[in-house]
This record gives sequence, structure tokens and C-alpha cells, in this order.
Amino acid sequence: MAQTTTELEPGGAIVETPPTTLSHDLHESTEAAEHGTSGLPQFEFGYWPGQIFWLLIVFAILYVILSKLFLPRVGGAIEARAAKIEGDLADARAARDEAERQSAEAAAELAQARGRAQKTAADAKAAAKAEADTRNAAEEAKLHERLAVAEAGIQAGREKAMANVRSLAAETAEAIVEKLSGQAPTRAEVDAAIARNAA
Amino acid sequence: MADPMHQFEIQQVLELPAVAGFDLSITNSALWMIIAAASVTLFFAAASAKAAVVPGRLQSVGEMLYELIHNLTDSIIGHEGKRYFPFVFTLFAFILAMNLLGMVPYFFTSTSQLAVTATLGVLVIAVVIAVGFARNGLGFFKLFVPSGVPFFVLPLVVVIEVISFLVRPVTLALRLFGNMVGGHVVLKVFGGFVVSLGALGALGIVGALVTLTGTVAITALEFMVAFLQAFVFAVLACVYLNDVVNLHSH
Repeated sequence: MAQTTTELEPGGAIVETPPTTLSHDLHESTEAAEHGTSGLPQFEFGYWPGQIFWLLIVFAILYVILSKLFLPRVGGAIEARAAKIEGDLADARAARDEAERQSAEAAAELAQARGRAQKTAADAKAAAKAEADTRNAAEEAKLHERLAVAEAGIQAGREKAMANVRSLAAETAEAIVEKLSGQAPTRAEVDAAIARNAA
Repeated sequence: MADPMHQFEIQQVLELPAVAGFDLSITNSALWMIIAAASVTLFFAAASAKAAVVPGRLQSVGEMLYELIHNLTDSIIGHEGKRYFPFVFTLFAFILAMNLLGMVPYFFTSTSQLAVTATLGVLVIAVVIAVGFARNGLGFFKLFVPSGVPFFVLPLVVVIEVISFLVRPVTLALRLFGNMVGGHVVLKVFGGFVVSLGALGALGIVGALVTLTGTVAITALEFMVAFLQAFVFAVLACVYLNDVVNLHSH
């Protein structure tokens, strides 16, 4: 294989520094005959086999590299992303469902607690009311009793006073009658007279 | 003015001994094929190095190209398309790399060589025929016999179908070749105008400025053409493959 060095020159031409092999000169001469300038450079058919050969080789290598290595990688990344998004969405959906479930649970618990609290409050209120009622009743009964005792005391006092008044009246009447008539009436007569007037 | 055809001239870069009378030396055309393939390899090595979930710029571009062609094989060939995806993608990436490298001043455009585009066209049709026979056996020939055609025009239709099939590699080759050569010649000629008009004095400079604006616009257009022709080549390869992959649905 001939060693060549290439460099780019304005105009797109690639200039070759001639290799120092004998075969090249031989080749050059045949080439000049083959690739004579006849119109479009594209129709210099002497260069076709090389282009076709290298095109097929390069294409085949590129095909293998892309189909075995890079396309699966790129496709894998796209699929991984789609799967990740799908997974994340599913996770988010599950988390949302869980949160909703917990929120419902909490609401139910709250309602239950509120019910319980209300019941407790009602119970306490009822108990307190009952206690107050019984205490009131007891107090009232006690008061009634005291009232009755007091009333009885007053009644007794009045009766006693009335009795005192009668005896006082009898004595007074006895004294008045004695003064007026000069004769003391008997106690029985006086009592009878008082009873007649009091009736 | 510089010869606009000079840029297409083949130069020998590395001389190799002839094989069976064929000169297989590496020319500038072959060299730039190798550079193009190496560029594609390096690009995808860099683009797929990390395979990150949140892609960087390079990875994004790589994945965009991947999905562009993947959608193509998927939508045109269908479910079977993924078997042919690497082939179509290699075609696309290789042609795109050769076209884009050709846009750099002083670089050589391998796709401006008919030998290259013709080989690519024939390669596509060879793969189509191979896939056609592998999948359908002799049923491959049903490709040329459309169903639902009255029998008395059938021979004519078959002849037309065969010719249109045989013309496919020719159109593939000429479309790419013509676009690349045409664009580069126009660029060269316009660029030459800028220089030669600019040398004509004050009025010439005004003309040169107009031509320069045109050259810039054409350069932008050529970048689009470079991409579009690679894409068209890939699309047509998919269409032709679909013909033989889904032969029964014809």
C-alpha cells in the first residue's frame, strides 16, 4: 500500500503528495487514459468501482454500528423515559389515591370523634341535670319539712295564745262582774258566757 | 470565473492495488463517505453516551432524528416497520451527513457523485427485492399484477408496473444527484458572480451585493435541501419496502 499524505486546498480539491513507489507512476499513466476529462466529472466511470466498493463497505459498517450499538441505546433511552414517566404517573396516582383514602379515613374518624364528644357532652349534661334535680328535690323536701315544722310551731303558739286570751278574758270578765255586781260569779258561768259570745 | 464543475472532480487520496482490473483506490469521494460515516458514529456516540432521562441538547437532537425515522417506518410500513428501521435510519443518517458535510466550504459532497447515489438507489431496490422474495417467495411477482384490473388490460398494466419498478432506483439516484449537483453549481456560479461583479466598480458592487444576498439565501435553501433529500430518500425507501412487506393488502 502506498503511503500518501493529503491536504485540503481551496476549491475542495485534495492534493496528493506523490508517493515514492514505482507502481504509482505506472498506475498514473493508465489512469490518465481512463479518467480523461470528458464533460461532467461524475461520468468518469473509471472512478466508479472504487466509489461503489467503498460506499457499500462504509454503509455496511455504519449499518452494523448503528443497528447494534447506537440505535438500541437511543431507543432504550426513549423507552426508559416513557417507562419512567409512566411509572412516575402511576406512583403519583397511587399516592393521590392513598392521600384521598387517608383523608376520607380522617374525616370519618373526625366525624366519629365529634359524635362521641357530643354524646359524652350530652351524657354529662344529663347526669348533671339528674343530679341537680335530685339535689333540688331533696332540698325542697327538706324545706317543706322545715316549713311544716314551723307552721306546726306557729299553730301551737297561736292555740296557746288563744287559750291564754280565753283565760285572761274569763278573769277579766270575773273581775268586771264582781266590781259591777259585787258578787263574784262562778268560773263555770263565766266560761259559759264567753263561749256564748265567742261563738 | 472558477469552473463550477471543478468541485465535483474526483481525486485519488490513497492508492490501492487494483482488484480484478478495478481501481479500488480511496478517492476524495470515498474519503468523505468515510468522514460522513465517522461523523454519524461520533454524533450518536456522543448523543447516546449518557442516555439520560432528561436529555441534553445533543441527546435531544439524536432522539429527534431517531423518532423522525421511527415514525416514518411505523406509519408507512406499519407494525413490521421496526425490522427495517435500522436500514432506513442508516440510509437517512448517512445521506444527511454526506449532504451536510458538502455544505461546508472546501469539503467534498459525495452525494454529488452519480456513482454514489446510483449505488444507494440500487441498494434500496436490492433490499426491497430481497425482502420481497424472503417474505412472499414467488408471490413477490404479485407486486406487478394489481388486483381488480380487467384481464384484457392486465398485460399492459403488468408491463407498466414492471417498468415503474425498474425506474425506481433510477429516480432515487437522479433525484439526490440532481439536487446536490444543481445546488452546488448554483452556489458556485452565484459566488463567482459576486467576485466578478465586485471587480467592475461602483455599479458592480451594488450588483455584487444583490448577488451576495441571493447566495446567502440559496445557502440557507441548500441546507434545507440537504435535509429534505435525505428525508425523501428515507420516505421512498419506506414506501418501496411497504410494497413488498404488506404485499397481500394490494
